[in-house]
Amino acid sequence: MDMRSHLGRARGPGSTDNGVEHWISERFSAIALAPLSLWFIYSALGFAGADYATFQAWQSQPGNVILMILFLLAMFQHGQLGLTVVFEDYIQPVWLKNISVAIVKYTALLFCVACIFSVLRVAFTA
Amino acid sequence: MVQFTLPAGSSPVKGNDHKNETGASNLRKFHVYRYDPDVGGNPQIDTFELDLDTCGPMVLDAMIKIKDEIDATLTFRRSCREGVCGSCSFNIDGVNTLACTKPIAEIKGDVKIYPLPHMPVIKDLVCDLNQPYAQYAAVEPWIKADTPPPNRERLQSPEERAKLDGLWECILCFCCQTSCPSYWWNGDRFYGSAVLLQADRWVQDSRDEAKGERLSELNDSYKLFRCHTIMNCTAACPKSLNPGQSVAHLKAEIAKRE
Repeated sequence: MDMRSHLGRARGPGSTDNGVEHWISERFSAIALAPLSLWFIYSALGFAGADYATFQAWQSQPGNVILMILFLLAMFQHGQLGLTVVFEDYIQPVWLKNISVAIVKYTALLFCVACIFSVLRVAFTA
Repeated sequence: MVQFTLPAGSSPVKGNDHKNETGASNLRKFHVYRYDPDVGGNPQIDTFELDLDTCGPMVLDAMIKIKDEIDATLTFRRSCREGVCGSCSFNIDGVNTLACTKPIAEIKGDVKIYPLPHMPVIKDLVCDLNQPYAQYAAVEPWIKADTPPPNRERLQSPEERAKLDGLWECILCFCCQTSCPSYWWNGDRFYGSAVLLQADRWVQDSRDEAKGERLSELNDSYKLFRCHTIMNCTAACPKSLNPGQSVAHLKAEIAKRE
């Protein structure tokens, strides 16, 4: 039973001092994704019907490697930030919320590293 | 988990039907949410048929007519009847607004009057506002200054004073606050739009000396940043204020410090 005053509950444990980092990171990754997504979609459409060798030659060019890695970083960063908010919004038990958020963040990290590794492997085994 | 459905015993059932048998021609039906904690059970929707030719133009006029002439047990808050006190905020025709400034003529078909959404109901249309009031107190809505007060008032330029326009007019009716899904899901930690507009009113006040302290307190992933720019707050405000802009301003002020 919660016998705290309404004011005590409203103040809670105080500020977490970190709300703005998430907010800024969400916006920066969104701004980065706008041109990078267009570049990715434009490039991907260009490979319709192409063979693997064509793609590998394209993916070995330094500019494309850099842009692809930036695209992956921005995409996974933005995705995990957004999913974190969804879980924080809708899951009330603190332990379940924290576990869910941790799973989202580490899964995003795992897939991001795996994707970057794949990009580098394709680029340097040409 | 978030409750997407009403808890047991909260779904409204059909209630009493008060027909108008005076032979009047200009009739309108009012469906009103009723809940009596002394009786218990599910809340019910009572229907009142009113003759608009003998009723004032606003929804509050109709509610007072119901209370005076049909059912004196109907319970609701009201005071100024001119959109200044913020007491008669209800969910009318699916939108949070003030009954005293909402013309019946603006509503098509039957008029539905419910309490503010997602707040605990005390009786009928009276909901428990202790939580938003406490959140309002938590932002310390008063001037904080260490500089000793001058012999006369603390001065402010016309430009500095102009920044408070659109903020000081808030009457704390909580129409905006209770229209926000983020406040429905996390109202225990998210301060809500009305309270954040009030916080912004003091952050923007040139006479206040605690801006940094206020912003630090709001730099919290729930208190301020649980706002997802849904903008129901601005759409609902019966005073045509823009709480969404205040929240955006607070976020930008905190971001500028980084």
